[in-house]
Amino acid sequence: MPLPKRLVEPVLVARGTIPENFPLPSELEAVTNGTLANTIRQLSSLSRHAEDLFGELAREAHGLSDRANSLQARIDRLAVKVTQLDSNVEEVSLQDIHMRKAFKSSVVFDQQVVSRDTMPTAMLETYHQCDTPPPLDKLNVYREDGKDGLKFYTDPNYFFDLWSQEMLKDTEKKLHDRGKKPHRPRNEGGGGGGGRHKKRIRQPHNTRERQRQLAVGHGEYIMPTQGVQYRAPHNIPDESLLGMVMTEPRPPRPNSIELRRSYPPEEQHLYSPPSSDHYRVANYVAQGYEDNLYGSHYGTGQGQTGSETYQSPGGQSTPSRSGRSRPSQPPPAPPSNTSSNSTPTVASANNTPTRGRSMSTGRDTLPPPPPPPGETMSPPPMNGSIPSHLLNRNGSRSNSPLPSHHSTPTPPNHSTQIGTDETDPAAPQDLPPPPPTPDPTPPRPISPPCNIPPPPPPPPPPPVANGPSPPVPLTNGDIAKMIATNPPKLKPLKPLKNIVDGQLRKPVNPNIPLVDPRNDLLKAIRDGIKLRKVEKIEQKEVERVNALNDVASILARRVAVEFSDSDSASESECDSEGWGEQETNLA
Amino acid sequence: MAAVHREAIQKQIQQDWANREYIEVITGSIKKITDFLNSFDMSCRSRIAVLNEKLTILERRIEYLEACVTKGETLT
Repeated sequence: MPLPKRLVEPVLVARGTIPENFPLPSELEAVTNGTLANTIRQLSSLSRHAEDLFGELAREAHGLSDRANSLQARIDRLAVKVTQLDSNVEEVSLQDIHMRKAFKSSVVFDQQVVSRDTMPTAMLETYHQCDTPPPLDKLNVYREDGKDGLKFYTDPNYFFDLWSQEMLKDTEKKLHDRGKKPHRPRNEGGGGGGGRHKKRIRQPHNTRERQRQLAVGHGEYIMPTQGVQYRAPHNIPDESLLGMVMTEPRPPRPNSIELRRSYPPEEQHLYSPPSSDHYRVANYVAQGYEDNLYGSHYGTGQGQTGSETYQSPGGQSTPSRSGRSRPSQPPPAPPSNTSSNSTPTVASANNTPTRGRSMSTGRDTLPPPPPPPGETMSPPPMNGSIPSHLLNRNGSRSNSPLPSHHSTPTPPNHSTQIGTDETDPAAPQDLPPPPPTPDPTPPRPISPPCNIPPPPPPPPPPPVANGPSPPVPLTNGDIAKMIATNPPKLKPLKPLKNIVDGQLRKPVNPNIPLVDPRNDLLKAIRDGIKLRKVEKIEQKEVERVNALNDVASILARRVAVEFSDSDSASESECDSEGWGEQETNLA
Repeated sequence: MAAVHREAIQKQIQQDWANREYIEVITGSIKKITDFLNSFDMSCRSRIAVLNEKLTILERRIEYLEACVTKGETLT
């Protein structure tokens, strides 16, 4: 039944025009007069409705014209900006890219289109004519279950609640499922994040399924029990499985395998499981950019969800972010970095990253010592992450001067050298030197100016880094001697780098790029200007609260979830290409 | 006498018919006005809706372009 928006009254013009119990000289005239009077009433009602109608139209047209005007202004501004664009100038430096805020759409969607507030006035009048619901809410005081009594009679929000609950449940499920999916690429890259046990477990299962199907396709018969075995719920046991399973996914990416040689693959796996960060780092180290994609991609997934919904996965987020931020700095950061960086700068994390870096510099040389069991386990991956990027880059750079070494950045060689050095004379003797070495180790001779600014970070690392550091001093000493002959100035840096790269790629590489960002960070902290803007926590809170009451936010979250879900596979590929290009460029 | 009375009644009825015709014209024109207003409202709304849609698309495109062109505005 159509509900008329505007009703022209009175409807029956000629009825009831004869007054009762009232003697009339001429009834016909009375009817005529009455009818005419009613038509006049109709006309007045009609004019009122017409006014209302035109008012609405005018309001909408006004709104449109406002939007059009603002749009015109934006277009003009954009036109000016576009003319000023210079393709030769790099828009944003690699470091600045971290400082960029994530893009946030300012488009406002109409919401609650059918609510009491947006009810047209004509309808509102009709609405007001209706009887109000009985004041059942007055009995709320006597209700023991705390429910609103009126809602048993009428509940306008019923359908919205129904819908929102369904949507939220759906997105939750999607999120859950999605957790599985992105896992696959990661596993291919070398395993899943340690933090997410579930996904990780399922991952091998998927690949196994695939393999099994393949095998079945070839006509083989597989015992059903195998699958169960492989699903072992814990990470560490999985590693071996992963290794087995991974063999299949690897072939598509030959490059990564090459890079992988830098570290003995088994050790990587061992290192990787303990924590997501380490694991990620290991990936970086082992497989370089391509795998970074996966790591970063994974990161992006989190970042997206986090930014969209502002409900970051909690504990995991912080560690992963810190881990991510580090590797991100040297290479042109993936989108995830921008979002991820926010936390570390804001939080007290400042100390930690610096430490980590300083540690890393010390460790960079360390990566060779993988053999040492417990202590080094955790640190090497951390260090490795940063240097790994650097490694790749530097390795590419170094190619020109020293092609022989470069082909595979072979840490093992270093390790062997270092190891021998350490074992024989170093262990006790070296301990004293480490304190100075960890931060500046190789860079010190090379780049004194760079090292000077970061003074604060060094103190913490030395004690920790001592174990691994010993190798550094030796190498440094050699380099330092060589450098000592040459005055250590900025210009000599490059040749020194090359030399160092030739001898020790790892230590030098991390330092050079690392030092600069650190300086910047300190500077940024001092200045207080360069720090990336982050949304206020309050804002986030508010938005999170609104999230559940807001159609748009619910839909946005859902879209985001689905989007990231479907893109996970394709994105990785695209990214890999991009990375490959950049790699080549760097080379 | 009867004839006169009948004539008067006939006159009254004729007058009444004339009045009714007059009222009919008025109500008919009121209906026309209403129809016009309704159709006007509908066409205006549809055009506004189309315009609104186009504006929305434009806004999104402009936003995208702005994001593309943005250099360092989002920095710091």
